[in-house]
Amino acid sequence: MGKFANALLVTAGVLLAGYQLVPALGQDAAALTPPPAYTPPPKGAAPAVDTPAQREALDKWKAKAEERIELDRMAYNSGVTPSYNFHYGPKNPFTPGNIQVQGEGFLQPGAFPSAEYCGTCHQEAYSQWRQALHSNAFRTPFYRTSVNILIRDKTRGIAFARHCDSCHNPIGVLGAALTEDSKVDRAKFDSDGLTCTTCHSVVSLDSTNGNASVKMGVPAVIVDEKGERIPGEVPFDMILRHPERHSKAVMHDFLRTPEFCAACHKANLPAELNDYKFIRAFTAYDEWQQSKFSQRNPLTFYTADFTTCQGCHMKRNANTLPDYGAKNGTIASHRWLAGNTAVPFYYGFDEQLKKTIEFLRAGDYLNVDVFALKKVGNDKLIAPLGKVSYSLAPNDVVEAYVVIQNKNIGHSLIPEVRDLYEAWVEFTAKDANGKEIYHSGFLKPDGILDPRAHSFTNRPVADDGEFVDNHKVWTIHSVAYDNSVQAGRSVLVRYQFRMPADASGAVTVTAKVNYRHLRQSYLNNIFGKDHPAYPIVEIASRSRVLKIGNNEPKAANPEDNPDWMRWNNLGIALLDQFQYAESIQAFSEVIKLRPSYADGYTNVGLTEIVWEKYGSARTAIRRALSLDPGNARALYYDGLLQRRAGNTEQEIADFRKVVEMFPESRDARRELGITYYQQNDNKASMEQFEALQQIDPDDLTAHYNLSILYRRMGKPAEAAEQQAMFVDKKVDPGAPTYSLNYLRIHPEISTESIPWHLHTDLVNDAGGPQNGK
Amino acid sequence: MASSRLSGSGWSHKIASIVLGVCLAGLPAVARAANNCAWLNEATASGFLGGNAVGTFTAPTAGQPAICAFVNQSAAATRTLRVTVEVAADPHARMMEAVAKECGADAAPLKAIGNEALVCAADDRKDGLGERVVGRVRDQVFTITIGTTLKGDPILTRDALTAKIYSAAEQVSGNLF
Repeated sequence: MGKFANALLVTAGVLLAGYQLVPALGQDAAALTPPPAYTPPPKGAAPAVDTPAQREALDKWKAKAEERIELDRMAYNSGVTPSYNFHYGPKNPFTPGNIQVQGEGFLQPGAFPSAEYCGTCHQEAYSQWRQALHSNAFRTPFYRTSVNILIRDKTRGIAFARHCDSCHNPIGVLGAALTEDSKVDRAKFDSDGLTCTTCHSVVSLDSTNGNASVKMGVPAVIVDEKGERIPGEVPFDMILRHPERHSKAVMHDFLRTPEFCAACHKANLPAELNDYKFIRAFTAYDEWQQSKFSQRNPLTFYTADFTTCQGCHMKRNANTLPDYGAKNGTIASHRWLAGNTAVPFYYGFDEQLKKTIEFLRAGDYLNVDVFALKKVGNDKLIAPLGKVSYSLAPNDVVEAYVVIQNKNIGHSLIPEVRDLYEAWVEFTAKDANGKEIYHSGFLKPDGILDPRAHSFTNRPVADDGEFVDNHKVWTIHSVAYDNSVQAGRSVLVRYQFRMPADASGAVTVTAKVNYRHLRQSYLNNIFGKDHPAYPIVEIASRSRVLKIGNNEPKAANPEDNPDWMRWNNLGIALLDQFQYAESIQAFSEVIKLRPSYADGYTNVGLTEIVWEKYGSARTAIRRALSLDPGNARALYYDGLLQRRAGNTEQEIADFRKVVEMFPESRDARRELGITYYQQNDNKASMEQFEALQQIDPDDLTAHYNLSILYRRMGKPAEAAEQQAMFVDKKVDPGAPTYSLNYLRIHPEISTESIPWHLHTDLVNDAGGPQNGK
Repeated sequence: MASSRLSGSGWSHKIASIVLGVCLAGLPAVARAANNCAWLNEATASGFLGGNAVGTFTAPTAGQPAICAFVNQSAAATRTLRVTVEVAADPHARMMEAVAKECGADAAPLKAIGNEALVCAADDRKDGLGERVVGRVRDQVFTITIGTTLKGDPILTRDALTAKIYSAAEQVSGNLF
């Protein structure tokens, strides 16, 4: 029998024998020890008081635990240090990551209590975590493929991977596993990625610089009565007797703040990694801070209740498994639901996958609005659709205006690694028989997205002008374009198609926002081309029926925005596409519909400022302030206009009021700093720029001005430091040439780099839009 | 910063010189595994085998896969962990061929290891116990076998072998990605 036939027989045998698929770690119910008996103390009850004997026993335990952990650490260090690659010098063992650790030397992986230990009393949290991204932060093929490329890179190697693993596998980094001749048993921690006692052992946040900017404590699950940490695992009865001491050890207040998430959900590519310069990789934290949900930014187009990262990604829900951390039968989700469907799909985590899809589709995150039509040859905008009458004839070439609003995401669409994640608009126009007239955003037979689709992606480019297809982030020199939509903003996507000559009934147009984790070509990099199709989730969609003949107004759908907001979103989108006249027209429609809405006037005013029409801008901003004198947003733009008019006193007064109301407004701090600088008030200017750096440590204006101000103030070392940071972080003036090279050789997507562009199949001989001719 | 980067560059040169030197010296086909097994380090293999393991690496030759072999020798038992890796033109067919040869019909699909993988008992030795995974990552076909010569081995029980072979497969496939 031939080998191939034999193999087929075995395949058939495996299938026919009905063997159970051996599950992945976390796929089946966890085999945890049942939790010890525990009755929580009544609410408000005072903590248990220890007897002298209990105190003495605890002191002895603590002394022994400290001695053991320290001796283990010394022995561990003597084993791993001699062969460790201190590529960045002995004082920087974890560079290019920003992670730090308490105490001397590396920290042995065994110092971290296991997830199963924590899971004994926190079974719900454990079972959620096991299927979540954090527990799988290291082991997935999607991550390993990327980091392995860096490890195998001839001019870099595993030491450089500390940049990635500081967040993806901190126990490995702190435990000296990331070196060529590793002496570390990796099976003890690789599968758990970010285990319970990584997040819950962080003792301080060093900054909001990201790249794991935290200090890891020696893990402890309890403190003594003086609040001193007792390292390592302890008997459960010790915790159950003093749950308040357990909380003090593992539940620092900062765990509930966005700044904690920033430690890893903000990343840059430092010169130590790329031998080039600082490049911002992503920063969901800053995007949140600039969003309406932070209530720190007065310049948002809309307002909302204060919501943290945890507010969306760690919503409380009822626990079904025993969990002594539950309050009123609920725990904060340790699934961290977000957009990643690839990991649960690969591991067969069906519940995580289902909940992820539900999360993506819930929450009113996006609004899709087929807002307007324009007939080619006629400048009149038929808008808003559903509210106005119009007529269409066969052969009409129409342009559909689709407005997509990032309505309730606290960060951009798409956030973070947007060169790998794929969200795009799928637009179809179909006749009454379902026949396709036009289709943009389809998948090709090989699973690759239509390259001319409107996608909310970016295109990082290396210095050879090629797209960085496989996440070799250290080769990124430029970004050819970035079509992500920031929180609260909108984008206008225009589609042009011809109504069929023989059409007599209706044409249905549908716009959907689809999401795939990950881009097909990246999945091909990981698995080769023979992998199953990964899930595509429709996040939001809207259809409208266009009839040949007369179209009358129709009732709105429940999910539709009110008309004023539909116009407002169009205005925002047009502003971001530099279509200032049209933007002002759209905002003027908002004013017609809501004449007492101060922001309507402010929107007109800010567009006119950008358009450099300061006279009419002043009129609009004054009107906004007459409606709402304390409106911080209007005051900010008034400050800019007062500066231009030379009214320094009023300029300062405006910015100061904004800073008083929004002390964490980076824009107001920056402008006030500039104003004081122009007035030669060095001290006041310095204060503003220093405050700005506390909010955004990468602000270029702050670096630039502080470098000058510190020098004036006789602080040459600080001045030099700011100057160096400015030089490292400012955009390389040569970088756009790499982008241009890329766009030149990829005409099929180069129009995506132009903010105002059209999607159409109707092209002229030169390949440009036909415009119906 | 500049000085640390310079010192880093010095390190790179040193490592490059050593690698070059080893290559030029004509490395024997079989060498101590310490750093030559790209898919599993000695410490991790030692963890799987329950004690210090000594590794050897055999570079691939025409028609033969690369082999990492780790042995833990105790008075009562010889415990081994063996990894083979080869590149195949038709990796799925080659993997199934290896399954037929190494597992027979007793193989069960293993979830979330590489592109695909199967696991089976590998009780090849008289009185011994073992577990084996055959799988692939893209076009790289691998086998991993963990075994002991001692039936009733307190370290490599059947349950322990089942857990360890999965963990070993995750290590090896993770490094092959």
